[in-house]
Amino acid sequence: MFEFIIEYLPLILDGLILTIEVTLVGIFAGLALGTILAIGDMYGGKAVSTAIRVYVEFFRGSPIIVQLFIFQYALPTLTHIPVNPYVTGFSVFALNSGAYQKGYVKGAMETVFQDQMMAGLSTGMSKLQTIFYVILPQALRIVIPAWSNEFCSLTKSTAALGLIGAMDLTGVGKTIAGQTYRVLETWAFVAIIYLIWITAFTKIADIVYEKKKIPGIEISA
Amino acid sequence: MDLVQQLLLMLGGVVETLAISIFSLLLGLLIGLPLSFVKVYEKGFRFFVDGFERIFRGIPEIVLMLMFYFGLGMYFQFPFKNAFFTAFFVLGLRSAANQSQIFRGAIRGIGEEQMLAARSLGLSRLRSITSVMVPQVFIFSTPGLGSEYALLVKDSSYAFVIGVLDIMKTTDMIRAATYDFVTPYLAAALLYILLTFPIATWLDTWGSRRKKKLGL
Amino acid sequence: MNTVMECKHLWKTYEPHLVAVKDVSFRINEGEIKLIFGPSGSGKSTFLRCMAMLTIPDKGDVFLRDECLTKPEVDLNRARARIGFVFQHIYLFRHLSALGNVELALRRVLKLSKEESRERALRALREVKMEEWAHHYPAQLSGGQQQRVGIARALARNPDIILLDEPTSALDPELTGEVIDTLRDLAKKGTTMLIVSHEMPFAREIADEMIFYDEGAIVETGPPEQFFTSPQSERAQKFMTRLIKKTKREQDV
Repeated sequence: MFEFIIEYLPLILDGLILTIEVTLVGIFAGLALGTILAIGDMYGGKAVSTAIRVYVEFFRGSPIIVQLFIFQYALPTLTHIPVNPYVTGFSVFALNSGAYQKGYVKGAMETVFQDQMMAGLSTGMSKLQTIFYVILPQALRIVIPAWSNEFCSLTKSTAALGLIGAMDLTGVGKTIAGQTYRVLETWAFVAIIYLIWITAFTKIADIVYEKKKIPGIEISA
Repeated sequence: MDLVQQLLLMLGGVVETLAISIFSLLLGLLIGLPLSFVKVYEKGFRFFVDGFERIFRGIPEIVLMLMFYFGLGMYFQFPFKNAFFTAFFVLGLRSAANQSQIFRGAIRGIGEEQMLAARSLGLSRLRSITSVMVPQVFIFSTPGLGSEYALLVKDSSYAFVIGVLDIMKTTDMIRAATYDFVTPYLAAALLYILLTFPIATWLDTWGSRRKKKLGL
Repeated sequence: MNTVMECKHLWKTYEPHLVAVKDVSFRINEGEIKLIFGPSGSGKSTFLRCMAMLTIPDKGDVFLRDECLTKPEVDLNRARARIGFVFQHIYLFRHLSALGNVELALRRVLKLSKEESRERALRALREVKMEEWAHHYPAQLSGGQQQRVGIARALARNPDIILLDEPTSALDPELTGEVIDTLRDLAKKGTTMLIVSHEMPFAREIADEMIFYDEGAIVETGPPEQFFTSPQSERAQKFMTRLIKKTKREQDV
């Protein structure tokens, strides 16, 4: 049933690689960004908090397609800076993920925050040191289950990349379906590849989590 | 296309978006609620429910919509060649998978005692579930449902790829007609934000007030 | 006599009307062990935390040796490094082992080398008899063991003074003994300690002076015997009577 795909395998591989790249860059850049935003929100003062709030509301409140279109078409029109679909793709997904992850990191930090901050200060560490050596290590472990949800969400939304002309896995699928007219089989094949990728990654994340677990900092599933 | 036509078109888009979101939420509820109870109380069906959830966590909605509309649509013109139906169907099932998880969390949060108490009064399993567990599960789940609703409103934009006249498609049509690459998309963003923000917050507040009243 | 810590006209109010510290002036000298006791909600913990500058007082001054801590330009972190604090609810760093908990400040605040921090940390754990458990995580330790690690964490920096905020109140009764033994050892070694507690027998045994604190102020001070035989103030009398009745009831059970 799927033999016709064989000649397209290189293309599919390229598409898959792009999808994987955007996902990984998005989620890790998002984690870094989210952590910075969470700290900024907790310590930055009113102006910073408001700016962060606007940013988060925008990226969490609008669909990814809208964000992609704004960055690919609207922004360049306003700023006269040309962009290509790949730059747009990486930036939008990183910014988008950052907005969501800020919420997870902040929630985790607040859970540990009060008493651990006072304990840290009592030993003579500064606020910043306490955040870095005491609060974050605990918060980041608490965040992990939310993380695997974020990963699934992110991967699935990368399928929208095709709409701005990037050749991710879905974009490739469209091309193949268009050329071979074997529409159902093509999409079934693409769907299976996504399924394998997501399932494999979440399994690996589970294993890493098990290894890094610390007794006393566990989250009931 | 003059301004009035544009606004009317966008209004139609808003209605379409809301329609997809609400119907998908309901379909998800219809399927997800029983699924969650089945998974908690009927161990045998675990694989089925797990498989169902795994499929919808693991395959992008866009791919599913394209697959059903263009693929299945070739053979089963009846429901699947209708873009609205396909979008609603895919999102509804996806929502069912999400809601099943949300309700399971609520069931676990409420705990064994409620079921035990109900059974001890002589109520059958089904009765206990419908009269005792379900109402509580709803109150517990409001934050989760609120965010699921917001998610559906946003994900309804995926229907764009199969041509549904939702907010995304209509604003894009305006862009095509006016060559304005800025305003339509910004308007779209604003509309979506207006649709997601208040409802999610309202559901949250309603939920916590209800919870407080019941001493949960 | 070397004054280790002193406060002058300290005030701390929680909005809107709760005055936890009402114009309190107080001094503790080297080697002394003073114990503060009184009804719950009287502000004793707040007072202690103000002394450690973990809670910033609204008015008044706090002195550590000769340094005034309430001045704005002061490096509070350096000052806090010279004060050891033990919390009622322990507050160990959950993501670190017992050893890690004690080492952290040595590495990051005193900037000692890895080897030296480890050495000093192990020594501190030895003092509280928790050396065997150095690599266990807080979740794997009992309340009493955790509190002992908390004491080691406060000790390790060789602070000028140790402040203890109801160190045994959050523990199950069977576990308080091990913590009290540890404190007794510290007392024998001449550690300057300011303790908030209602462990009366312990107070009687090791305190040089006891302070009755009620409604935000120091009501009466004196040697332990004074409180157990003839408290001067009426409020202290009432409190001690109630306490003795309660202890008698517990002993009978």
